[in-house]
Amino acid sequence: MRLSLLLMVFGGSLAQSSVVPSWSVGGVTPDLPLILTAFIALRRGPEAGCLVGFAAGLLQDVTGGGLLGVQALSRALAGFAMGLLPGRLWVGHPLVQIPGLVLLTVAEGLVRFGLLQLLHFPASIGELLAHVILPQALYNGFLGAACVLAVELAQTLRGRHTWT
Amino acid sequence: MRFRRYALLLAVLLTSLFLLTVQTRGGGPTRAADLVALAITPVQSLLANAHRGALTAWHTFTDWKTVQSENMALRADNERLRVQSLQVRETDQENLRLRRLLALRDRMPLATLTGEIIGREGGGWARSLTVNRGRADGVAQQMPVIVPAGLVGRVAQVRSGASIVQLLNDPASTVGAVVQRTRTPGLVEGEPGGGVRFKFMARDGAGVVPGDLIVTSGLGTLFPKGIPVGRVTAIEDKGSALFHFAVLAPAVDAARVEEVLLLTGQSTQDIAGLFTPDG
Repeated sequence: MRLSLLLMVFGGSLAQSSVVPSWSVGGVTPDLPLILTAFIALRRGPEAGCLVGFAAGLLQDVTGGGLLGVQALSRALAGFAMGLLPGRLWVGHPLVQIPGLVLLTVAEGLVRFGLLQLLHFPASIGELLAHVILPQALYNGFLGAACVLAVELAQTLRGRHTWT
Repeated sequence: MRFRRYALLLAVLLTSLFLLTVQTRGGGPTRAADLVALAITPVQSLLANAHRGALTAWHTFTDWKTVQSENMALRADNERLRVQSLQVRETDQENLRLRRLLALRDRMPLATLTGEIIGREGGGWARSLTVNRGRADGVAQQMPVIVPAGLVGRVAQVRSGASIVQLLNDPASTVGAVVQRTRTPGLVEGEPGGGVRFKFMARDGAGVVPGDLIVTSGLGTLFPKGIPVGRVTAIEDKGSALFHFAVLAPAVDAARVEEVLLLTGQSTQDIAGLFTPDG
Protein backbone atom coordinates (compact mmCIF):
# COMPACT_ATOMS: atom_id res chain seq x y z
CA MET A 1 0.00 0.00 0.00
CA ARG A 2 2.84 2.37 0.89
CA LEU A 3 4.55 1.43 -2.34
CA SER A 4 1.43 2.35 -4.31
CA LEU A 5 1.29 5.72 -2.52
CA LEU A 6 4.96 6.28 -3.29
CA LEU A 7 4.40 5.41 -6.94
CA MET A 8 1.40 7.75 -7.11
CA VAL A 9 3.40 10.63 -5.64
CA PHE A 10 6.39 9.97 -7.87
CA GLY A 11 4.19 9.43 -10.96
CA GLY A 12 2.11 12.52 -10.25
CA SER A 13 5.18 14.72 -9.86
CA LEU A 14 6.76 13.25 -12.95
CA ALA A 15 3.57 13.78 -14.97
CA GLN A 16 3.31 17.35 -13.66
CA SER A 17 6.66 18.23 -15.18
CA SER A 18 6.29 16.19 -18.37
CA VAL A 19 2.77 15.51 -19.61
CA VAL A 20 0.69 18.08 -17.78
CA PRO A 21 2.28 21.16 -19.46
CA SER A 22 0.75 19.98 -22.71
CA TRP A 23 -2.72 20.24 -21.10
CA SER A 24 -2.21 23.97 -20.74
CA VAL A 25 -5.29 26.06 -21.48
CA GLY A 26 -4.55 29.74 -21.90
CA GLY A 27 -1.28 29.30 -20.05
CA VAL A 28 -2.98 27.63 -17.06
CA THR A 29 -2.03 24.09 -16.11
CA PRO A 30 -3.64 21.89 -13.47
CA ASP A 31 -1.73 20.87 -10.35
CA LEU A 32 -1.83 17.09 -10.49
CA PRO A 33 0.24 16.41 -7.33
CA LEU A 34 -2.09 18.65 -5.32
CA ILE A 35 -5.14 16.84 -6.67
CA LEU A 36 -3.54 13.51 -5.73
CA THR A 37 -2.68 14.84 -2.29
CA ALA A 38 -6.26 15.99 -1.73
CA PHE A 39 -7.82 12.68 -2.77
CA ILE A 40 -5.34 10.62 -0.76
CA ALA A 41 -5.92 12.83 2.28
CA LEU A 42 -9.70 12.47 1.97
CA ARG A 43 -9.45 8.70 1.80
CA ARG A 44 -6.56 7.99 4.19
CA GLY A 45 -6.63 10.80 6.70
CA PRO A 46 -4.39 13.69 7.76
CA GLU A 47 -1.17 11.69 8.34
CA ALA A 48 -1.15 10.22 4.86
CA GLY A 49 -2.24 13.57 3.42
CA CYS A 50 0.55 15.38 5.23
CA LEU A 51 3.27 12.92 4.19
CA VAL A 52 2.08 12.67 0.59
CA GLY A 53 1.79 16.47 0.38
CA PHE A 54 5.28 16.89 1.81
CA ALA A 55 6.81 14.32 -0.56
CA ALA A 56 5.00 15.64 -3.60
CA GLY A 57 5.85 19.24 -2.72
CA LEU A 58 9.49 18.39 -2.13
CA LEU A 59 9.70 16.63 -5.48
CA GLN A 60 8.14 19.65 -7.15
CA ASP A 61 10.57 21.95 -5.35
CA VAL A 62 13.42 19.79 -6.61
CA THR A 63 12.20 19.60 -10.18
CA GLY A 64 11.09 23.24 -10.24
CA GLY A 65 14.48 24.58 -9.20
CA GLY A 66 13.06 26.93 -6.56
CA LEU A 67 13.60 27.03 -2.84
CA LEU A 68 13.43 23.56 -1.32
CA GLY A 69 10.71 23.36 1.29
CA VAL A 70 8.19 25.97 0.12
CA GLN A 71 5.86 23.62 -1.71
CA ALA A 72 6.76 20.80 0.66
CA LEU A 73 5.47 22.91 3.55
CA SER A 74 2.37 24.33 1.86
CA ARG A 75 1.30 20.95 0.48
CA ALA A 76 1.95 19.15 3.73
CA LEU A 77 -0.36 21.67 5.43
CA ALA A 78 -2.93 21.31 2.65
CA GLY A 79 -2.84 17.50 2.85
CA PHE A 80 -3.13 17.56 6.61
CA ALA A 81 -6.07 20.01 6.56
CA MET A 82 -7.85 18.04 3.83
CA GLY A 83 -7.37 14.84 5.81
CA LEU A 84 -9.14 16.37 8.82
CA LEU A 85 -12.32 17.15 6.86
CA PRO A 86 -13.94 13.67 6.69
CA GLY A 87 -14.59 13.73 10.42
CA ARG A 88 -16.25 17.13 10.21
CA LEU A 89 -17.89 17.31 6.77
CA TRP A 90 -19.68 14.84 4.54
CA VAL A 91 -16.97 14.64 1.90
CA GLY A 92 -17.97 11.43 0.13
CA HIS A 93 -20.02 13.27 -2.49
CA PRO A 94 -18.33 14.75 -5.58
CA LEU A 95 -20.31 17.96 -5.10
CA VAL A 96 -18.37 18.46 -1.87
CA GLN A 97 -15.06 17.10 -3.08
CA ILE A 98 -14.76 19.31 -6.15
CA PRO A 99 -15.46 22.70 -4.51
CA GLY A 100 -13.25 21.47 -1.66
CA LEU A 101 -10.45 20.90 -4.14
CA VAL A 102 -10.92 24.40 -5.58
CA LEU A 103 -10.81 25.95 -2.12
CA LEU A 104 -7.81 23.84 -1.15
CA THR A 105 -5.92 25.04 -4.22
CA VAL A 106 -6.67 28.64 -3.30
CA ALA A 107 -5.68 28.07 0.34
CA GLU A 108 -2.47 26.28 -0.65
CA GLY A 109 -1.65 29.14 -3.02
CA LEU A 110 -2.18 31.68 -0.25
CA VAL A 111 0.03 29.71 2.17
CA ARG A 112 2.74 29.42 -0.47
CA PHE A 113 2.46 33.15 -1.17
CA GLY A 114 2.73 33.87 2.57
CA LEU A 115 5.89 31.76 2.87
CA LEU A 116 7.43 33.39 -0.17
CA GLN A 117 6.54 36.81 1.17
CA LEU A 118 8.71 36.01 4.18
CA LEU A 119 11.50 35.45 1.65
CA HIS A 120 10.75 38.75 -0.15
CA PHE A 121 8.84 37.32 -3.11
CA PRO A 122 8.13 40.33 -5.36
CA ALA A 123 4.73 39.57 -7.00
CA SER A 124 1.49 41.01 -5.61
CA ILE A 125 -1.28 38.81 -4.24
CA GLY A 126 -3.88 40.35 -6.58
CA GLU A 127 -1.98 39.43 -9.73
CA LEU A 128 -1.16 35.99 -8.40
CA LEU A 129 -4.80 35.34 -7.53
CA ALA A 130 -6.10 36.61 -10.86
CA HIS A 131 -3.58 34.98 -13.16
CA VAL A 132 -2.32 31.91 -11.34
CA ILE A 133 -4.16 30.73 -8.25
CA LEU A 134 -7.84 31.10 -9.24
CA PRO A 135 -7.52 29.81 -12.83
CA GLN A 136 -5.50 26.85 -11.58
CA ALA A 137 -8.05 26.23 -8.82
CA LEU A 138 -10.84 26.06 -11.42
CA TYR A 139 -8.80 23.81 -13.66
CA ASN A 140 -8.04 21.56 -10.68
CA GLY A 141 -11.77 21.44 -9.95
CA PHE A 142 -12.61 20.28 -13.47
CA LEU A 143 -9.77 17.75 -13.56
CA GLY A 144 -10.67 16.56 -10.07
CA ALA A 145 -14.27 16.02 -11.17
CA ALA A 146 -13.02 13.96 -14.11
CA CYS A 147 -10.79 11.93 -11.76
CA VAL A 148 -13.68 11.31 -9.34
CA LEU A 149 -15.92 10.14 -12.17
CA ALA A 150 -13.14 7.88 -13.52
CA VAL A 151 -12.54 6.35 -10.08
CA GLU A 152 -16.26 5.76 -9.53
CA LEU A 153 -16.59 4.20 -12.97
CA ALA A 154 -13.62 1.92 -12.27
CA GLN A 155 -15.13 0.91 -8.92
CA THR A 156 -18.49 0.20 -10.56
CA LEU A 157 -16.85 -1.94 -13.23
CA ARG A 158 -14.79 -3.78 -10.62
CA GLY A 159 -17.99 -4.43 -8.65
CA ARG A 160 -19.65 -5.84 -11.76
CA HIS A 161 -16.77 -8.16 -12.41
CA THR A 162 -16.53 -9.49 -8.87
CA TRP A 163 -20.20 -10.13 -8.04
CA THR A 164 -19.87 -13.75 -9.11
CA MET B 1 -3.34 9.06 18.12
CA ARG B 2 -4.07 12.76 17.93
CA PHE B 3 -0.65 13.53 19.44
CA ARG B 4 1.06 11.36 16.83
CA ARG B 5 -0.86 13.15 14.09
CA TYR B 6 0.22 16.62 15.21
CA ALA B 7 3.74 15.42 15.98
CA LEU B 8 4.00 14.30 12.37
CA LEU B 9 2.74 17.65 11.14
CA LEU B 10 5.19 19.44 13.36
CA ALA B 11 8.06 17.29 12.13
CA VAL B 12 7.17 18.00 8.52
CA LEU B 13 6.86 21.73 9.17
CA LEU B 14 10.15 21.84 11.00
CA THR B 15 11.89 19.90 8.25
CA SER B 16 10.55 22.28 5.64
CA LEU B 17 11.49 25.32 7.65
CA PHE B 18 14.93 23.85 8.25
CA LEU B 19 15.40 23.36 4.54
CA LEU B 20 14.28 26.91 3.85
CA THR B 21 16.51 28.29 6.55
CA VAL B 22 19.51 26.40 5.30
CA GLN B 23 19.00 27.80 1.83
CA THR B 24 18.23 31.37 2.72
CA ARG B 25 21.02 31.93 5.25
CA GLY B 26 24.35 32.68 3.72
CA GLY B 27 27.73 31.40 4.99
CA GLY B 28 27.40 28.85 7.78
CA PRO B 29 24.63 26.57 6.55
CA THR B 30 26.31 25.94 3.20
CA ARG B 31 27.36 22.52 4.42
CA ALA B 32 23.74 21.67 5.29
CA ALA B 33 22.58 22.89 1.89
CA ASP B 34 25.25 20.75 0.30
CA LEU B 35 24.00 17.77 2.30
CA VAL B 36 20.47 18.43 1.10
CA ALA B 37 21.71 18.78 -2.44
CA LEU B 38 23.70 15.57 -2.04
CA ALA B 39 20.55 13.71 -1.08
CA ILE B 40 18.36 15.45 -3.60
CA THR B 41 20.61 15.60 -6.66
CA PRO B 42 20.37 11.89 -7.59
CA VAL B 43 16.58 12.12 -7.29
CA GLN B 44 16.60 15.31 -9.30
CA SER B 45 18.80 13.74 -11.92
CA LEU B 46 16.54 10.71 -12.04
CA LEU B 47 13.47 12.90 -12.33
CA ALA B 48 15.09 15.05 -14.99
CA ASN B 49 15.97 11.97 -17.03
CA ALA B 50 12.51 10.52 -16.57
CA HIS B 51 11.05 13.92 -17.40
CA ARG B 52 13.11 14.09 -20.58
CA GLY B 53 12.12 10.54 -21.47
CA ALA B 54 8.45 11.24 -20.80
CA LEU B 55 8.65 14.44 -22.85
CA THR B 56 10.31 12.62 -25.72
CA ALA B 57 7.71 9.86 -25.55
CA TRP B 58 4.93 12.44 -25.37
CA HIS B 59 6.30 14.42 -28.31
CA THR B 60 6.79 11.24 -30.29
CA PHE B 61 3.20 10.32 -29.55
CA THR B 62 1.82 13.76 -30.47
CA ASP B 63 4.00 13.84 -33.61
CA TRP B 64 2.75 10.41 -34.51
CA LYS B 65 -0.84 11.51 -33.96
CA THR B 66 -0.26 14.58 -36.13
CA VAL B 67 1.44 12.58 -38.84
CA GLN B 68 -1.30 9.98 -38.66
CA SER B 69 -4.08 12.56 -39.04
CA GLU B 70 -2.16 14.34 -41.82
CA ASN B 71 -1.63 11.00 -43.49
CA MET B 72 -5.34 10.22 -43.32
CA ALA B 73 -6.24 13.66 -44.70
CA LEU B 74 -3.70 13.29 -47.50
CA ARG B 75 -4.98 9.82 -48.33
CA ALA B 76 -8.54 11.18 -48.54
CA ASP B 77 -7.32 14.07 -50.74
CA ASN B 78 -5.39 11.65 -52.91
CA GLU B 79 -8.43 9.43 -53.33
CA ARG B 80 -10.66 12.39 -54.18
CA LEU B 81 -8.15 13.76 -56.70
CA ARG B 82 -7.73 10.33 -58.26
CA VAL B 83 -11.48 10.05 -58.76
CA GLN B 84 -11.57 13.59 -60.20
CA SER B 85 -8.68 12.75 -62.50
CA LEU B 86 -10.50 9.64 -63.74
CA GLN B 87 -13.65 11.67 -64.33
CA VAL B 88 -11.72 14.31 -66.24
CA ARG B 89 -9.93 11.67 -68.32
CA GLU B 90 -13.24 9.94 -69.04
CA THR B 91 -14.83 13.24 -70.08
CA ASP B 92 -11.81 14.05 -72.28
CA GLN B 93 -12.02 10.71 -74.03
CA GLU B 94 -15.76 11.05 -74.54
CA ASN B 95 -15.21 14.57 -75.86
CA LEU B 96 -12.59 13.32 -78.32
CA ARG B 97 -14.79 10.47 -79.53
CA LEU B 98 -17.77 12.76 -80.03
CA ARG B 99 -15.63 15.35 -81.87
CA ARG B 100 -14.40 12.66 -84.26
CA LEU B 101 -17.91 11.34 -84.75
CA LEU B 102 -19.32 14.80 -85.43
CA ALA B 103 -16.47 15.59 -87.81
CA LEU B 104 -17.23 12.39 -89.74
CA ARG B 105 -20.93 13.24 -89.78
CA ASP B 106 -20.17 16.68 -91.19
CA ARG B 107 -17.95 15.17 -93.89
CA MET B 108 -20.48 12.52 -94.90
CA PRO B 109 -22.27 13.20 -98.22
CA LEU B 110 -25.38 11.43 -96.92
CA ALA B 111 -27.84 11.74 -94.07
CA THR B 112 -26.78 10.26 -90.74
CA LEU B 113 -28.15 9.79 -87.28
CA THR B 114 -26.02 9.65 -84.14
CA GLY B 115 -26.68 6.94 -81.58
CA GLU B 116 -25.38 5.81 -78.24
CA ILE B 117 -24.66 2.21 -77.32
CA ILE B 118 -26.91 1.05 -74.49
CA GLY B 119 -26.35 -2.69 -74.63
CA ARG B 120 -23.99 -5.40 -75.90
CA GLU B 121 -24.35 -9.07 -76.76
CA GLY B 122 -21.02 -10.85 -76.99
CA GLY B 123 -21.78 -14.57 -76.84
CA GLY B 124 -20.64 -16.92 -79.60
CA TRP B 125 -24.12 -17.31 -81.07
CA ALA B 126 -24.68 -13.67 -81.87
CA ARG B 127 -22.63 -10.52 -81.58
CA SER B 128 -24.56 -7.30 -81.50
CA LEU B 129 -24.91 -3.84 -80.01
CA THR B 130 -28.07 -2.07 -78.92
CA VAL B 131 -28.35 1.56 -80.04
CA ASN B 132 -30.72 4.07 -78.43
CA ARG B 133 -32.30 4.93 -81.80
CA GLY B 134 -35.35 3.10 -83.09
CA ARG B 135 -38.35 3.23 -85.34
CA ALA B 136 -39.42 6.58 -83.92
CA ASP B 137 -36.11 8.07 -85.08
CA GLY B 138 -36.50 6.79 -88.62
CA VAL B 139 -34.16 3.84 -88.30
CA ALA B 140 -34.78 0.99 -90.74
CA GLN B 141 -33.42 -2.54 -91.04
CA GLN B 142 -30.10 -3.08 -92.84
CA MET B 143 -28.92 0.49 -92.23
CA PRO B 144 -25.11 0.62 -92.07
CA VAL B 145 -23.61 1.62 -88.72
CA ILE B 146 -20.22 3.28 -88.70
CA VAL B 147 -17.71 5.07 -86.48
CA PRO B 148 -14.76 7.27 -87.56
CA ALA B 149 -12.57 4.14 -87.80
CA GLY B 150 -14.87 2.23 -90.14
CA LEU B 151 -17.78 -0.17 -90.35
CA VAL B 152 -19.39 -1.47 -87.18
CA GLY B 153 -22.19 -3.52 -88.73
CA ARG B 154 -25.76 -3.18 -89.86
CA VAL B 155 -29.13 -2.71 -88.19
CA ALA B 156 -30.62 -6.16 -87.78
CA GLN B 157 -33.73 -5.36 -85.78
CA VAL B 158 -35.63 -2.14 -85.20
CA ARG B 159 -37.76 -1.52 -82.13
CA SER B 160 -39.69 1.53 -81.08
CA GLY B 161 -36.88 3.23 -79.15
CA ALA B 162 -33.82 1.11 -79.92
CA SER B 163 -32.15 -0.95 -82.61
CA ILE B 164 -30.04 -4.09 -82.61
CA VAL B 165 -26.86 -3.76 -84.68
CA GLN B 166 -25.37 -6.97 -86.03
CA LEU B 167 -21.60 -6.70 -85.70
CA LEU B 168 -19.13 -7.61 -88.44
CA ASN B 169 -17.84 -10.55 -86.43
CA ASP B 170 -21.31 -12.03 -85.88
CA PRO B 171 -21.23 -15.56 -87.37
CA ALA B 172 -24.22 -14.67 -89.57
CA SER B 173 -22.75 -11.41 -90.88
CA THR B 174 -21.71 -11.10 -94.53
CA VAL B 175 -20.55 -7.86 -96.16
CA GLY B 176 -19.52 -7.35 -99.78
CA ALA B 177 -15.99 -5.88 -99.82
CA VAL B 178 -12.90 -5.28 -101.97
CA VAL B 179 -9.19 -5.03 -101.34
CA GLN B 180 -8.62 -1.30 -101.63
CA ARG B 181 -5.22 -1.66 -103.34
CA THR B 182 -6.01 -4.38 -105.89
CA ARG B 183 -9.83 -4.06 -106.05
CA THR B 184 -10.05 -7.83 -105.54
CA PRO B 185 -13.66 -8.54 -104.64
CA GLY B 186 -14.85 -10.89 -101.91
CA LEU B 187 -17.00 -11.30 -98.84
CA VAL B 188 -16.22 -10.37 -95.26
CA GLU B 189 -17.69 -12.96 -92.93
CA GLY B 190 -17.87 -13.23 -89.15
CA GLU B 191 -16.55 -16.34 -87.43
CA PRO B 192 -17.95 -18.16 -84.39
CA GLY B 193 -14.62 -17.59 -82.61
CA GLY B 194 -15.06 -13.82 -82.86
CA GLY B 195 -12.70 -13.21 -85.77
CA VAL B 196 -13.41 -11.76 -89.20
CA ARG B 197 -12.19 -13.17 -92.52
CA PHE B 198 -12.21 -12.05 -96.14
CA LYS B 199 -13.21 -14.75 -98.60
CA PHE B 200 -11.92 -14.16 -102.11
CA MET B 201 -11.44 -16.06 -105.35
CA ALA B 202 -7.88 -17.38 -105.59
CA ARG B 203 -6.94 -16.59 -109.16
CA ASP B 204 -3.91 -14.97 -110.72
CA GLY B 205 -3.69 -11.30 -109.96
CA ALA B 206 -5.61 -11.46 -106.68
CA GLY B 207 -2.36 -10.45 -105.01
CA VAL B 208 -3.76 -10.00 -101.50
CA VAL B 209 -1.00 -9.52 -98.94
CA PRO B 210 -0.96 -8.84 -95.21
CA GLY B 211 -1.46 -5.16 -94.51
CA ASP B 212 -3.99 -4.64 -97.29
CA LEU B 213 -7.04 -2.58 -96.33
CA ILE B 214 -10.44 -4.12 -97.02
CA VAL B 215 -13.30 -1.67 -97.67
CA THR B 216 -16.96 -2.08 -98.52
CA SER B 217 -17.48 -2.69 -102.23
CA GLY B 218 -20.61 -0.61 -102.69
CA LEU B 219 -22.14 -3.36 -104.82
CA GLY B 220 -25.81 -3.57 -104.11
CA THR B 221 -27.58 -0.81 -102.24
CA LEU B 222 -26.78 -1.73 -98.67
CA PHE B 223 -23.36 -0.20 -97.85
CA PRO B 224 -21.82 2.88 -99.47
CA LYS B 225 -18.54 2.24 -101.21
CA GLY B 226 -15.26 2.64 -99.33
CA ILE B 227 -16.09 2.15 -95.66
CA PRO B 228 -13.03 0.52 -93.97
CA VAL B 229 -13.79 -2.99 -92.76
CA GLY B 230 -10.44 -4.34 -91.65
CA ARG B 231 -6.82 -4.96 -92.49
CA VAL B 232 -5.36 -8.28 -93.70
CA THR B 233 -3.15 -9.93 -91.10
CA ALA B 234 -2.66 -13.36 -92.71
CA ILE B 235 -3.60 -15.38 -95.79
CA GLU B 236 -4.93 -18.91 -95.43
CA ASP B 237 -3.70 -20.54 -98.63
CA LYS B 238 -5.86 -23.54 -99.44
CA GLY B 239 -3.63 -24.68 -102.33
CA SER B 240 -5.73 -25.40 -105.40
CA ALA B 241 -9.04 -24.43 -103.72
CA LEU B 242 -11.24 -21.98 -105.57
CA PHE B 243 -11.46 -19.58 -102.61
CA HIS B 244 -8.81 -18.35 -100.24
CA PHE B 245 -9.37 -16.66 -96.92
CA ALA B 246 -7.61 -13.62 -95.48
CA VAL B 247 -7.68 -13.15 -91.75
CA LEU B 248 -8.67 -9.57 -90.91
CA ALA B 249 -8.04 -7.30 -88.00
CA PRO B 250 -11.34 -5.38 -87.87
CA ALA B 251 -11.07 -1.64 -88.43
CA VAL B 252 -13.36 -1.11 -85.46
CA ASP B 253 -12.93 -2.60 -82.01
CA ALA B 254 -16.60 -3.20 -81.31
CA ALA B 255 -15.95 -3.76 -77.62
CA ARG B 256 -14.86 -0.13 -77.25
CA VAL B 257 -17.54 1.53 -79.35
CA GLU B 258 -19.75 3.90 -77.34
CA GLU B 259 -21.25 6.24 -79.95
CA VAL B 260 -22.10 5.43 -83.60
CA LEU B 261 -23.45 6.97 -86.77
CA LEU B 262 -26.38 5.28 -88.51
CA LEU B 263 -26.37 6.00 -92.26
CA THR B 264 -29.98 6.85 -93.03
CA GLY B 265 -29.29 8.11 -96.57
CA GLN B 266 -27.86 6.54 -99.71
CA SER B 267 -24.78 7.49 -101.71
CA THR B 268 -22.90 5.96 -104.62
CA GLN B 269 -19.80 8.06 -103.93
CA ASP B 270 -16.63 6.33 -102.65
CA ILE B 271 -16.28 7.60 -99.12
CA ALA B 272 -13.03 5.82 -98.22
CA GLY B 273 -11.18 9.14 -98.01
CA LEU B 274 -13.44 10.34 -95.20
CA PHE B 275 -12.12 7.77 -92.74
CA THR B 276 -8.86 8.10 -90.92
CA PRO B 277 -6.76 5.11 -89.81
CA ASP B 278 -6.75 6.23 -86.16
CA GLY B 279 -10.51 6.79 -86.18
